[in-house]
Order: sequence, then C-alpha cells, then structure tokens
Amino acid sequence: MREMINMVVVLTVLTALSGGLLATVKAKTEVQIENQVLKFQKAPAIKGIFPETTNDPLAERFMIDNEGVPLQVFPGKLSDGSKAVAFETKGTGFGGAVGLMVGINVDTDTIVEVRVTTHSETPGIGSRAKDDPSFASQFSGKGLDTNFSMKADGGAVDAMSGATVTSKAVSVAANQAKEIYQKLKPEIVKQMN
Amino acid sequence: MNNNKLIVSHAPFWHDGDSLFTLNLNLMIAALPAVIFGLVQFGMPALGVLALSLSSAMVWEYVITLLSGKKASIHDLDSAVIGLFLGMMLPATAPWWLVITGTFLAVVIGKIIFGGIGANPFNPTLIGMAILALSWTTLLDFDAAYVNYDFDFTALVPLAAVKAKGALAVSDLFPLNDLMMGKQVGAIGTTFGLGLVIGGIYLILRGFVRWEIPVSFIIGIVFTALCFNLANPDKYAGPMIHLFSGYTLFGAFFLAPENSSSPVNRIPMLIFGFCAGLIILLMRNIGVYEDGTVLGILLLNLVNPLIDTIRPKALGKGVNHA
Amino acid sequence: MAQSLAKEFTKGLWAEIPPFRLVLGLCPTLAVTKSVENGIGMGIATTFVLVFSNLLISLLRNIIPSKVRIACYIVIVATFVTIVELLMQAYTYELFLKLGIFIPLIVVNCIVLGRAEAFANKNGPLPSVADGLGIGMGFTLSLAALGAVRELLGNGTLTIWGGTPIFEMAEGFLPFRFMLEAPGAFIGLGLMLCLMNLIGKK
Repeated sequence: MREMINMVVVLTVLTALSGGLLATVKAKTEVQIENQVLKFQKAPAIKGIFPETTNDPLAERFMIDNEGVPLQVFPGKLSDGSKAVAFETKGTGFGGAVGLMVGINVDTDTIVEVRVTTHSETPGIGSRAKDDPSFASQFSGKGLDTNFSMKADGGAVDAMSGATVTSKAVSVAANQAKEIYQKLKPEIVKQMN
Repeated sequence: MNNNKLIVSHAPFWHDGDSLFTLNLNLMIAALPAVIFGLVQFGMPALGVLALSLSSAMVWEYVITLLSGKKASIHDLDSAVIGLFLGMMLPATAPWWLVITGTFLAVVIGKIIFGGIGANPFNPTLIGMAILALSWTTLLDFDAAYVNYDFDFTALVPLAAVKAKGALAVSDLFPLNDLMMGKQVGAIGTTFGLGLVIGGIYLILRGFVRWEIPVSFIIGIVFTALCFNLANPDKYAGPMIHLFSGYTLFGAFFLAPENSSSPVNRIPMLIFGFCAGLIILLMRNIGVYEDGTVLGILLLNLVNPLIDTIRPKALGKGVNHA
Repeated sequence: MAQSLAKEFTKGLWAEIPPFRLVLGLCPTLAVTKSVENGIGMGIATTFVLVFSNLLISLLRNIIPSKVRIACYIVIVATFVTIVELLMQAYTYELFLKLGIFIPLIVVNCIVLGRAEAFANKNGPLPSVADGLGIGMGFTLSLAALGAVRELLGNGTLTIWGGTPIFEMAEGFLPFRFMLEAPGAFIGLGLMLCLMNLIGKK
C-alpha cells in the first residue's frame, strides 16, 4: 500500500513539475517563436502567393476576430490593382497540424494561390504537399464556390498518390478558409480600407 | 585449425562437378561473341571500359580480402566475371571513375559484404548497375552517350524511342534483322542479340546455366509483350523489339541464372524466370523506366528464397519439416 | 575522482560511441545525416537532452520507485525534448525546419533511455553528466562524420553551420546521388562501421 501511494505521488509530482516547467518555457519563447514563424514560414508563403504587391503584406497585417479566435490576415494589393488577402488555416495531417496559407482575391472571390506553411508530415511522402508545386497549384484560380474536397469524396482536388491523409488535410484547410472568408468578408473588407 | 572436414552449409547445393574457375571461365567465353562485336562496333573506348572494369573488379576483391585478412580468392575469376558483365552493361563512353565506382559497388557491396561467393542474395553486377543508374542517370543514357558516333543505322535507343513515341511511330526504324545483328544503340556487350543467344546456348549445352531460367524468362517477356501488343498495338511494341533490345537477352542468359541468387528446384526456376520477364515488361510498358531488366531481376532475387520454398515432397515417412 | 569522470566522458567518444559501437539511435542517424549541419544540430539537441535527463534521473534515482521508473524516465526525457524543440523553434528555426519530426522523436531514441536505465540510475550526478556529455558528443561526432561522407559524395559540398558550404567540389563533379537516399545512409554507416572495426582490431 505504502509503495502504491509512493508510486502515485512521485509520478504525479514529476508530471506536475514537468508541466509547470514546460508552461514556463513555452510562455518565455512564444513571442520569439511567433517572430520566427512569421519570418521563415509565413513570409516566404506570402511572397509565393503575392509575388508582386504594391504594399507590404507583412507590415500591414491585422487581426480580426473569428468567433472568439483571433485570425491573422495579410492584405495585399496586387499589381493589376485588385485587392487580395491571405490568411492561414489548419488541417490535421499524418503527423499533426498542416498549416495552409490561402490567398484570396477579394474583388473576384477566387483563390490566388495556396501554400503549405508548417507541417510535420513524413519527409518525401506527405512533405511533397509543400515541396512539389503541382499539388498546391490545383487550387490556383478556382472560384470560391468550388468544393475543395478530394475527388473520391465528390470534390475537385486530386490527391497526391501515397499521401492521401496529407492531401485531405490540405483540402480541409482550404475548405475551412473558404468558410471563414465567406463569413468574415465584410469585416475583412472594412479592415482593409 | 583442423575442423573443416565436415562443413554443414545451407542451400543452394547446386553443383555440377566443375570448379568455380571453369564455370567462370566458360561464362566469359560465352560472353565473347557479344563482347567482340561490341569492341568492333564501339571501338577503342569500349575496350578501355571493359579492360578497366574487369581489372578494377579484381583489384577491389583483392584489396578487400587483404584488408579483412581473408584468403585471397580472385583466382576463381568470380570478380572478373562481375567486372566483365558490368562493363558489358555500360556505354562505351562511361568515364573511368564511373567504371571503378561501379565495380566497387558490385564486388564489395554486392558480393563480399554478404560473405563472398555463393552468399550473395542479389546478383552483384545488378547491384552495381542499379546504384549507378540511380546516381548518374545522365551518364547511362545511351541516347546521349553516342552523340559523337556515326552509325549506319538508327541512332536511337529502341526502348526509349518506343516509350516516348509509341510503337507505331517507330515501327519502321528498327527492323528485326538490325536488332538481332546488333545494329542498335546500347551498352557495349548487350546489343548483339544473336551473339548473346549463341553464348547462352553454349552455356546451357555445357550445363553451366540451367535451361529453365532463360527459357521461362524469354517466355515471360514474349507472353507479356504479346498481351500488351494485342491490347494496344499503337502504343506497345511487339515481343521481338522487347526481346532483342535493351538488356533483355543479356539478362536472360547471363544475369538471371546467377547461381546464388536464383532458385534451385525446377518449378521455382520456371516461376522465377517467368515472373522476371513479366515484371520487366510491366516496368517498360507501365512504369517510368525504359528498361526494367536491372530492377526486375533484382526484385525477383529478393523473393527468390520465398519461391524456393516450393520443393518436392520428401519420400518416406516421418519427415514433417523437410 | 577527476580521473574517473574523464573516463566516463571519453568512453562515449570511442569505446561506446553510440551509432557505431552501441548501434543505438539509428533512426536519426540514418534520417537526418544528409548534411554535416543537420548531423551537428541533431547531435547537439540529443546531447542537451542526454545531459539534463541523466542529471535529473541520477538525482532522483533514490526517490523514483523501481516499478514506475520507465514512466518517470519518459516524463523527464519528454520534458527536455519539448524544451529543446521550443528553444530550437525560437532560436534556430531553419535548422528546426530541416530536422522537423526527428526532434520530437528524440524521446524514443534508445540512447537517451538506454543511458538513463544503464548508467544514470546507478551512478551519482557528476559521473552521469560526464557520461551524458561523452555519449552526446560521440553521437554528434558520428552524425557529423556520416553527414560529411554523405554530403560530400551525394551533393559535393560540406556545410558545417548556417547553410553556406565551406567546401565545394571542383566544377564538373557529378554528385553520387545515391548517398543522399536512405539506402546510401545504410551503406555509408555500414562501411564506416567496417572501417572502425578494422582500426580497432589492430
């Protein structure tokens, strides 16, 4: 009995201490990590989505409220004069969350381009979603009335062979982006001006 | 150490009474017609490649046995055969370092690492070729290799041309006669179909190669090619193009029957050969490779122990796990 | 005392060098050694985890009940791995992106748990730290060496830190791309193991 209690107590204390330590480190590094993600992940993705903008989407980023969850929005003024926004949504892939930066043209309501930002997918299989442009380019230019599910599920997107889970994660994120955009469009447009 | 009187070794027990030396010597003799033809056709560079690959293979084996303190075994000519075969599968324009790397991979990675002759699960030559092909695709592209040569026949790799343009478009470019007489672009020692067949028949008649594997291999190629050809004659070439181009005949007579990486019993040998031919054709017609011979035979080497479990029932009673 | 500490430290550098002598921790060894830089980064992250988990486990070795010791070790190791992951994200983000999933996988790295079970729970804190440091350094060196071979042959460059190569093969060098593939890692590791046995035998 004594041994039993001992075991429970030690493990509990250890786990609690570990949790506390991790919370501290997480809190201390949060701002720094966000800066790094912005610099190394979102900036290249934004640059890929809006290769030529007349403004600086990173500097003009703003937050809007999506049902209590803050959402970071990057506005871009495209070279042909039309306005666009980019924001990130997440789908669940094979190795955790897959971040997808979705650029949407506000004037025509079409997708400009999508880019995978963060992922922990298997290198060489799921990671092709990021490294191989032919998958992500399926989304470019599609109207927002498109269903971005897999073709097998009645949508319009071809899955990458061997990486169905990752492909699904990307399409879930794209569908989510569509919903968020349709819901929040008035507010986004208001903020942009 | 006087305990090597009773050595219990595992299968294969294939033995025809000859020594390794005579076996390997005869393999080289059988390869001679194709080699000589290759030398005539591709000239001095081909001689350089062959000489370098043969000698470097033997040097590698000697160096490694010396380093690992084993008894030198190059006098059985096994590494010489590996080197010669590897050289025969290379284009005449292969640079010297490619040849030396290839023989290192074939002899050391393909054979010695597994315990030397008889213990290799894969054909050593093919291990070397497969790794070379993965690394230096451009150097092993026969179309690109012979741009400076002036041939009196179509200077296109038959299989690549078929793959790129479809069988119908190239059907006039490759008359069967040319293919058989070696008038085609390819590796040094694998273009002369007739010579390879003569060498192969010599080996079979002398008993150095078991007839089941080459015959079922060729049946596998012809049958599968015929099926594809009948289904879509515009796209898929007929059996004769497949048989007389690429590494096919070289694979059938010289590579697939390699003793330690092929089955022992008759039925498994037939399955082995047929499946190899089938897989090669699937790779050529459906896969991305022009010539799947190297990978096809390696794949069958891999499943060889499994196929070889099909064996005759032991006579008598009480043997449950024979 | 100092002598025995030095002994614990140096054994990790040759006599018990992890991937070669213990043949442990092969997953990161094979997966991340496409360049020297990746190898060093992975090695340093593992060293950090090893040193701190060894220290903590040896301090707590009399408190942790033996029946739940593995669970306790995992909690401790996982904590430090997560800390490393957060720190790498915060300060060496590009390296973190390259190593990706293999950083969290340090938790299940046999070396870390193996040292905890085989050494730290029987020895005091100082030898445990020395042991962790030695094994970690050995691991880093092995990864860097394998990374150097693979990067040099497979890519024709050597990158120690920061993404810019310090050495490039002469013009006209055609990279041996096979070495960058997974089978190339196996063969490279095997040949290096051969070489070490050859040297060790003499």
